[in-house]
Amino acid sequence: MSLCISYDSSFDGFLSAVFEIYSQHLDVESFVPDRDTGATGDLFQQNFRVETNDESASRLRRAVVNYAGDDVLNLLYAAFLSEEPGVEMKILAYLRKLFAGDDPNFAKNVASTEMLPLYKLAYSVRHEAGGLLGMVRFSKAPGNFYVSKIDPKYDVLLLIEPHFRNRFSNENWVIYDERRKYALLHDRTGESRVVTLPDATALTDAIQSDSFTQLWQDYYKSIAIKERENPKLLRRCLPVRYWKNLTERQTVCVPAL
Amino acid sequence: MDVREKLNILSAAAKYDVSCTSSGSRRSAPPRGLGDACPAGICHTWSSDGRCISLLKILLSNACKYDCAYCANRRSNDIPRATFTPKEVIDLTLEFYRRNYIEGLFLSSAVVGSPDATMERLVKVVKELRTVHRFGGYIHLKSIPGASEKLLHEAGLYADRTSVNIEVPSERSLTYLAPEKNYASVYAPMNYFAERKIEYGGSRGRYTPNFLPAGQSTQMIVGASGETDFQILTLSAGFYRQQRLKRVYFSGYVPVNADKRLPALTTKPPLLREHRLYQADWLMRFYKFDYDEILDAKHPNLDLNLDPKAGWALRHPEFFPVDLQTADYEMILRVPGIGVKSAQLIVSSRRYCKIRLETLKKMGVVLKRAKYFIYHPDIPAGVRQFYPEMIRPLLLAPSKTQQLDLFDSTPLLLPSAPATTNSLPSVFPSTNVIPAKAGISLPKPHLLAAG
Ligand code: SF4
Repeated sequence: MSLCISYDSSFDGFLSAVFEIYSQHLDVESFVPDRDTGATGDLFQQNFRVETNDESASRLRRAVVNYAGDDVLNLLYAAFLSEEPGVEMKILAYLRKLFAGDDPNFAKNVASTEMLPLYKLAYSVRHEAGGLLGMVRFSKAPGNFYVSKIDPKYDVLLLIEPHFRNRFSNENWVIYDERRKYALLHDRTGESRVVTLPDATALTDAIQSDSFTQLWQDYYKSIAIKERENPKLLRRCLPVRYWKNLTERQTVCVPAL
Repeated sequence: MDVREKLNILSAAAKYDVSCTSSGSRRSAPPRGLGDACPAGICHTWSSDGRCISLLKILLSNACKYDCAYCANRRSNDIPRATFTPKEVIDLTLEFYRRNYIEGLFLSSAVVGSPDATMERLVKVVKELRTVHRFGGYIHLKSIPGASEKLLHEAGLYADRTSVNIEVPSERSLTYLAPEKNYASVYAPMNYFAERKIEYGGSRGRYTPNFLPAGQSTQMIVGASGETDFQILTLSAGFYRQQRLKRVYFSGYVPVNADKRLPALTTKPPLLREHRLYQADWLMRFYKFDYDEILDAKHPNLDLNLDPKAGWALRHPEFFPVDLQTADYEMILRVPGIGVKSAQLIVSSRRYCKIRLETLKKMGVVLKRAKYFIYHPDIPAGVRQFYPEMIRPLLLAPSKTQQLDLFDSTPLLLPSAPATTNSLPSVFPSTNVIPAKAGISLPKPHLLAAG
């Protein structure tokens, strides 16, 4: 009888589950991350809970690195962050074939049936993370804190963390993912921390405009060349779904297409 | 005048400088400092004209003592003038940077007093940013033609990139349009930086300064004077080779002044031509094309209806079709419709599997244009000949994205007649047309299209 594995939605949780699948020879039909608690499993499926286990997760990481290298592990992680329904099964399929070791060329062959969908997902996830590096907007809150909220399609907060930690190591800042309700917190004395914030009104209320917001909005308007206006190109470069959190797009009326 | 007013005037005055990249430098944040630079550069937003905004691009002052015909800030224009204090620029830069609005500063200036006095004020600002405020973000600093080498050297120590704009693509037109300027004064700072970079580039010891890590760029106005595309590309190829410039920008002329030496105020900026020049420039920088492969004395201007890569391919049928299984990476890159990403994907996966039509589709390689130029095992043997005269009309059917970006915004530049082969100028001389050999009938276009 095939199982439906529930886990805590983290990558380590998923790796622990894969570890259990191998060590207990489980037959798996699907994965249910905790963030999908609303989803009800198939009646004929058995639910099986796997708790995150750092030890087994790191053993699995090592195995992937040994068989396929760091790049592939990072790629699987990025694909996992897409949170696409069913991505766990796709990664599992890839790992099964990888660990079976039948084909020496399999590990890095991007064009294989197992790898290609993961490669594409990872590409989209990294693409969004890359774009977001420029599109996070901080506002200045009392206490010299810089506050920002984002709403990315994929769960990229941890992918962009090193960039902001290096760049603003000497500042106090928060980036809040309003879709997933957790935030990255950095204060100038220490390391960055991840905190879950089911209720972030205090934080989002701190996002206020001031004189520099105004200056930035002015700048944004005056730098554009009227004779070259191109709303369609703008929408392609800067997808509309990001606009709500972009200071400079907030006072500009949306040009009709 | 308050900062807000100054910012409005001095950013509007800087907007015709198209360069806004923040790439080419790798610097980690200085200890107890603010900001770093990453080599790929980061776009922070896009303005309503669809251009990437990465830097705070402003003039220190627009009170110019020169009178260049093509410039909005020229002496004879009656416009509001403003000048930032160094502190105002520094505060704006730091606070914009902390809010992640920008990747850094692009500071330029009109010529106020003398070139040296102007350059000195520019250098003062960036020096203070770097030394007093420990700013590690990107800085692009304009060099003023005629500034002394001592100041240029200092600029190179603090800035990531510098630029001197040549603006007009021939010396005759330049002295005609900008009587106070000449090529020598523009080339002098470029050559100075190029030499220093070579000097410091050799050995990176502890005491060698990190001199101008992102190199130099320049800009040319397109469509204000009568130069051909071939002249423009020749000039920019020279810049890449001799002055080792990182980028040459093209700026389709937007008429800002009524001046009888220039196109009328109602002229639309030549956006499509500018786009084609950028494509040609891209081919030179990333696809290893030479400028005289893209154009030559017989074809002095780029075909507005066809991108330069396709133009080259159609003039050189002897290289096609390209066999994706065995061709060099460089040759695969020359296939119209195949970009760097697809070419890399093909080269890295062909070691493991045969490249068939299915494989390409699965990889997401766009075959719409490429299919006419490649050879793969799924093409029937009879259709493996390459006939430029049949492919050209197929490529000309405008694709949807082209319509969105260019065709809509520049209706004036396009021929009003529908795109039939007869009404369009042909890029290749008729001698290039391969006659149908006896016994082999020409493949019908739909057969090629089906490939
Ligand atoms: S020197 Fe520069 S700012 Fe002054 S008029 Fe000429 S182009 Fe314009």
